[in-house]
Amino acid sequence: MRKILLVATLFCGAAIPANSQGDGKPNAAPSGGSFTGATANFAPNAPAGQWTQQARDYANTRYSPLTQINKQNVGRLRMAWSFSDGQMYGHEGAPLVVGDTMYLVTPFPNIAYALDLSKPGAPIKWVFQPNPDPRAIGKACCDKVLRGWSYADGKLIYNLLDNNTVAVDAKTGKEVWRVKLDDVTKGPTMTMSAFVVGERVYVANSGGEMGINGWFQALDVKDGHTVWKAFNNGPDQGMLIGSDFKPHYPWMVGKDLGVTTWPGEMWKQGASAAWGWVSYDPDLNAIYYGTSNPGPRTPSQRPGLNLWSAAVFARDATTGAAKWAYQFTPHDEWDYDGVNENVLIEIPWKGARRKVLVHFNRNGFAYTIDRTNGEVLVAKAFGHQNWAKEIDLKTGMPIVNEAAHPYVGKKVENICPPDIGVKNWNPSAFSPRTGLLYAGVFNSCMDLTNHIVQYIPSSPYDGMEMQRHAGPGGHWGEFIAWDPVQGKRMWSIKENLYVWSGAVVTGSDLVFYGTMDGWFRAVDARSGKVLWSQKLGSGITAAPMTFVGPDKRQYVAVYAGIGGGAGVLRREKGFMPGGNTLYVFSVDGMGIGNGTTQLISQAGAAAPVSVPPAAHN
Amino acid sequence: MRKLVLAFMLLTSPALAQVTAHSTNPLEGKADAIEAGRALFGKMNCAGCHAYDLTGGMGPDLTDGSWQYGAKPGEVYHTIAEGTPRGMPAWKDKMTVDEIWQVVAYIQSKKQ
Repeated sequence: MRKILLVATLFCGAAIPANSQGDGKPNAAPSGGSFTGATANFAPNAPAGQWTQQARDYANTRYSPLTQINKQNVGRLRMAWSFSDGQMYGHEGAPLVVGDTMYLVTPFPNIAYALDLSKPGAPIKWVFQPNPDPRAIGKACCDKVLRGWSYADGKLIYNLLDNNTVAVDAKTGKEVWRVKLDDVTKGPTMTMSAFVVGERVYVANSGGEMGINGWFQALDVKDGHTVWKAFNNGPDQGMLIGSDFKPHYPWMVGKDLGVTTWPGEMWKQGASAAWGWVSYDPDLNAIYYGTSNPGPRTPSQRPGLNLWSAAVFARDATTGAAKWAYQFTPHDEWDYDGVNENVLIEIPWKGARRKVLVHFNRNGFAYTIDRTNGEVLVAKAFGHQNWAKEIDLKTGMPIVNEAAHPYVGKKVENICPPDIGVKNWNPSAFSPRTGLLYAGVFNSCMDLTNHIVQYIPSSPYDGMEMQRHAGPGGHWGEFIAWDPVQGKRMWSIKENLYVWSGAVVTGSDLVFYGTMDGWFRAVDARSGKVLWSQKLGSGITAAPMTFVGPDKRQYVAVYAGIGGGAGVLRREKGFMPGGNTLYVFSVDGMGIGNGTTQLISQAGAAAPVSVPPAAHN
Repeated sequence: MRKLVLAFMLLTSPALAQVTAHSTNPLEGKADAIEAGRALFGKMNCAGCHAYDLTGGMGPDLTDGSWQYGAKPGEVYHTIAEGTPRGMPAWKDKMTVDEIWQVVAYIQSKKQ
């Protein structure tokens, strides 16, 4: 008995430091302070152990205050349990944990699972099969993925590849509502994560390579009806651009620029899909999202700025009215997009605090932008690029390297980065303890030949022919820490292939990320030292997350199921076969029902184990 | 009107009706047909899905010997003409019988 108590005491005492289960607010740094003084608003301040939306908070920080797993014990992480969902397309989302339940949604055919975390092995509580239209398979540009799902109002809410948004009763797995938002036969699909704030669900379509007309809309969380809808190209009226719209730079001011910056009516097939992430600032009641490349990808066919492609929008969350916008890459010639996440933080700036968003653009520049007005404060290269000399902060315009312009029928060599970017949609994380952002990035270039294309509905409207190759040093990827105030790297870890996973950073200064060759790593957020690595069954292109189970134990979870845009490297050495397994880790692999001599268990029943029950609770 | 009638005749012509899964490609190996097929592969946006080198991307690789809807020339023809239940559009209204065979000839010429 004494032994049992000792085991229990040791486990709980060692693994759960005081104040680890906080209220969502960051702890004071026990050693070392913030490198930058940057902080964030963690609304809606979900309980520390839960993870109710993809980025955990409205600000898109992917910061967890949990500290049970720390630098001392992270080396003892072992698999507690795993779950294979049977679908082989790329896995990109993070699990959600609400109470004692974990929620997962597969890539097409978008099957939802609820797993009961209170029982041994986390058995299935319910399964929901929405049966989306299979014609969507042939329309999705970059694998048949889903980047995430949301929990709100007792419902699991997510997009189907065939342009329906669906809400499922989180307790029963029964469909509550489903709304059709676009016509899959014309080319659009939906792959982004629905994002919920209060009574609104924010969703948008994909199809930057399909000549679609990109839109963004707010649905009612109760029944899914459209509350407002804004197009991302076209006349001001349809874009909800009115008197409140005040872009910071003069070249983005004018009437109907979403029409006049295109030849003729080409804006109608101008893409500008919003297939990435949405952020929300509760103080400004503003949402932020980015738009994709313009269509077609061949730029000589669409002279002009091509507003509002490759841009970030700030909109009133209630009405949709545009507040400001900023186009990262005017007349995008390289498919650099603007859909990557916007992380909302506050930074010290010239003696004052500024509310900013940080955006790692595919074009290779990391932007720190005043999110109240769209002024670019910092724009520095965060990886290898040669298409622009710099971003002129006076005008907000890039100064383009003449050698980087592509031509029809002529190969232009060594443009960096390629279309895939220096970073893609894979979301970064921000720690208020270090004041740094953490991101998986790419190191590559392309030889580009353009082709003239015609718009044929339901087929690609593209025109780029590329050969991609690794950048300087020969490695394809890196994982970096970034100072958003100075605009500089703090450290980096080289990886063989693109680092296309998301990141999560914790209150114990651990950052987790995965690699395309299947390594899941924990890193010291301050030094970049790798503290733990585990090889998984497939490459990792999903976002990790961390939670506390009903047993009060901290877990870290990530899907291993390579796919999505990462498939562009499918012929490179180390690229792994597809997969569909969620791996869940804990210190020593402990979990409910786990043990050293487990023999057999019934579904939902505790297994016979030799480890004393006390150690499991 | 003459154009419409001609189009109707083409679409309902015996040549189209006669293409079966076992049909051989009358244009296989013919250099001018392969070149015409290459041009159509770009012009009709096939390359947008299957890549300019046919190794796939958004759509399947057409050079690896793996065929979801049949490897025979007649089956490939049928896939192009009718489209697939997984979202590839039907091209029979946008290309003539000869043009589809030209595209098939181009694909056949790229087999590894």
